[in-house]
Amino acid sequence: MADMPSSPAMQVEQELEGDLGARRMIVNFGPQHPATHGTLRNIITVDGERVLKIEPELGYLHSGFEKLGEYRTYNQTVTITDRMNYLSPLCNNVGFSLACEELMGIKVTPRCAAIRVALAELSRVADHILSVGLQAMDLGAFSVMLWTFIEREKLYDIFEAVTGARLTTSYTRIGGLMRDLPPDFEPMCRAFMSKCAKTIDEIDDVLSNNTIFVKRTKGVGAISANDAIDLGLTGPLLRSTGVAYDVRKQRPYLGYEQYEFEVAAEQEGDVYARYRVRMKEMREALKIVDQVLRKMPAGPVNVDDPRVVIPLKDAGNNPQGGMEGLIYHFKTYMYGHGICPPKGEVYSCTEAPNGELGFYLVSDGTQRPWRFRVRPPSFYNYQALPRMSEGGLLSDVVANLSSLNIIAGELDR
Amino acid sequence: MATQPWQHEGILTTSLREVVTWARRNSLWPMPFGTACCAIELMATLASKYDMARFGAEVIRFSPRQSDLMIVSGRISLKMMPVLSKIWEQMPEPKWCISQGACASCGGIFDTYAMIQGVDKFIPVNVYIPGCPPRPESIIDALIKIQEIVDSEGIRQRTA
Amino acid sequence: MTDVSAAAVEKLVALFPDVLIGTGESCGQRYADVRRDRIVDLLTFLKSDAELQFEMLMDVTAVDYLNQGAPERFCVVYQLYSISKNGYFRVKAYVPEADPTIDSVSGLWKSAPWAEREVFDLYGIEFAGHPDLKRIMLPDYYTGHPLRKDYPLRGLGERDNFPKYAGGA
Repeated sequence: MADMPSSPAMQVEQELEGDLGARRMIVNFGPQHPATHGTLRNIITVDGERVLKIEPELGYLHSGFEKLGEYRTYNQTVTITDRMNYLSPLCNNVGFSLACEELMGIKVTPRCAAIRVALAELSRVADHILSVGLQAMDLGAFSVMLWTFIEREKLYDIFEAVTGARLTTSYTRIGGLMRDLPPDFEPMCRAFMSKCAKTIDEIDDVLSNNTIFVKRTKGVGAISANDAIDLGLTGPLLRSTGVAYDVRKQRPYLGYEQYEFEVAAEQEGDVYARYRVRMKEMREALKIVDQVLRKMPAGPVNVDDPRVVIPLKDAGNNPQGGMEGLIYHFKTYMYGHGICPPKGEVYSCTEAPNGELGFYLVSDGTQRPWRFRVRPPSFYNYQALPRMSEGGLLSDVVANLSSLNIIAGELDR
Repeated sequence: MATQPWQHEGILTTSLREVVTWARRNSLWPMPFGTACCAIELMATLASKYDMARFGAEVIRFSPRQSDLMIVSGRISLKMMPVLSKIWEQMPEPKWCISQGACASCGGIFDTYAMIQGVDKFIPVNVYIPGCPPRPESIIDALIKIQEIVDSEGIRQRTA
Repeated sequence: MTDVSAAAVEKLVALFPDVLIGTGESCGQRYADVRRDRIVDLLTFLKSDAELQFEMLMDVTAVDYLNQGAPERFCVVYQLYSISKNGYFRVKAYVPEADPTIDSVSGLWKSAPWAEREVFDLYGIEFAGHPDLKRIMLPDYYTGHPLRKDYPLRGLGERDNFPKYAGGA
């Protein structure tokens, strides 16, 4: 090889030839591809089947959420938060409303907190069950995805009964909720929970000891705990490496300290560990919902604060009715007035199914946020893909990507 | 009269137009261009409860060369628009397009610097589905409308 | 949100008086306003100090304080979290409009590179020493930095600039 006269083309060829004479090839994975969960693009340099370098490319769903949030009032921004992690929109709603309430120094009523916890945990089940279903589909087990969709349909029925919409719920408001629960919420939940537990067991049966699934996931995409912490990973990804960090336990919000549940953690940090973490989290979430339903406090859902909640319209009974009520009603909605948090800033985080969902709000005293920043778990999780996949096989990239559960809406905002 | 063997088999007489449109509309292969939340509702439509396979649209081929119905479900951003155009170009005629949801039809709630305000500004759309996201029943309704359009178009030449 | 943020404030006041503009507290959360010089040293200290140990960089973002009376126009905000001490802390580094550059912390935390790329893309703040500083959310040909306060919400016409395909019908 060295004796041959080298033209520029030959020099490039010689550069490309590795030890085995294999050629380097650049493969484009996405943004339109069945195995990318959403609009992601990965530019993969492969040597045969082995991945040498992955360069993820995002931005294919960048919608300008953060700028849009600066032009909407705080309660209007709740509708925007739905569209971020669209598999579990209630978790986003809850997280955002919590951030606003922290900014204003409001504590919600116990009933509101309990309802928010119940719905957030049901959304967690929805997100995880779909993630497991899509992961199984990517690895070949298509039926599992159909089973998980049936469970999601039942959850959609519950969400529709409570919030009015299947997917884009926009249920929480600052200081409370859109409306109280329907009377048949508990029976619907209980019926769902018993069936869902059986489905989770069925999926466990089919996948957890299945040779093909295990071979494709065990040892694949393993990262160490130190790497995970350095990369800013949170949620199931961090817990699968052995770091049992869960915002619900470390900094409990909405009364999570009164519910008993375990934090799911595994040690290996590979795709199989993440799958097991998600399965366990689903079971724990159902346990939490059961406890919430048993302990559900009675009372109002909206906090009694005229700055944020409009008073009831019946002037006779309500001491704030009549002229005062009308004035407050006007002020809450008039342009230039409205719900105005005091000047300040807050970073508030909740445990979303994908990890730590943080909202950094800067208020300038007007009814619109000065800065609406979302700390998206998927964004930081996706950064880990090159670390996990380089050196592995091309087909393992699919397994890794599905285990990260990247939601493009949250990734790109 | 002597009986011919095929007289017991049954004969259909029809026009070429009927047969071709019948075949086309009952085997529309969708190309789901799912980007955001609407894609989840599209997936729900394809799942068991609102089975879209009953209408023939079962074969979801992510390859544009093998599909004839593009369902744009979700918001299309600046970076994604060239991808959408390319895939639209790669689909062979006859092809139809459903624009699912408010974002694909008109930009939806995202009237921002990075969002295309409706894909019909750049590619031809046959059916629009309003909703954010539209219910699966609406998506099936749109599919039926596309089937009616296919029926009404016949087999005349389509130019891009 | 616990003692570690108070300890961080004390140590910063003691050890970095030249770059510290001030400290503050909002909604029970402490933060430090600093100048952009020596930001890497400051954050290295916060990460490695035995009593603080901010192992995780949760978020890097920026705020545009146009006409708000802030020390400078732009402010790069670092959300730090300590797993071992279970506490948050925020460092806000002010960056002037005339020269919007700051040192990159990609060498300290592996979660920084993409977040800094996003800040560059949407605000135009450049990070010196970043391994691969290019746009992440918007296309490469895009000019302008949308999250700045003087950029219109609806953009400047980029969203209408695509080829139109005629109908097949």
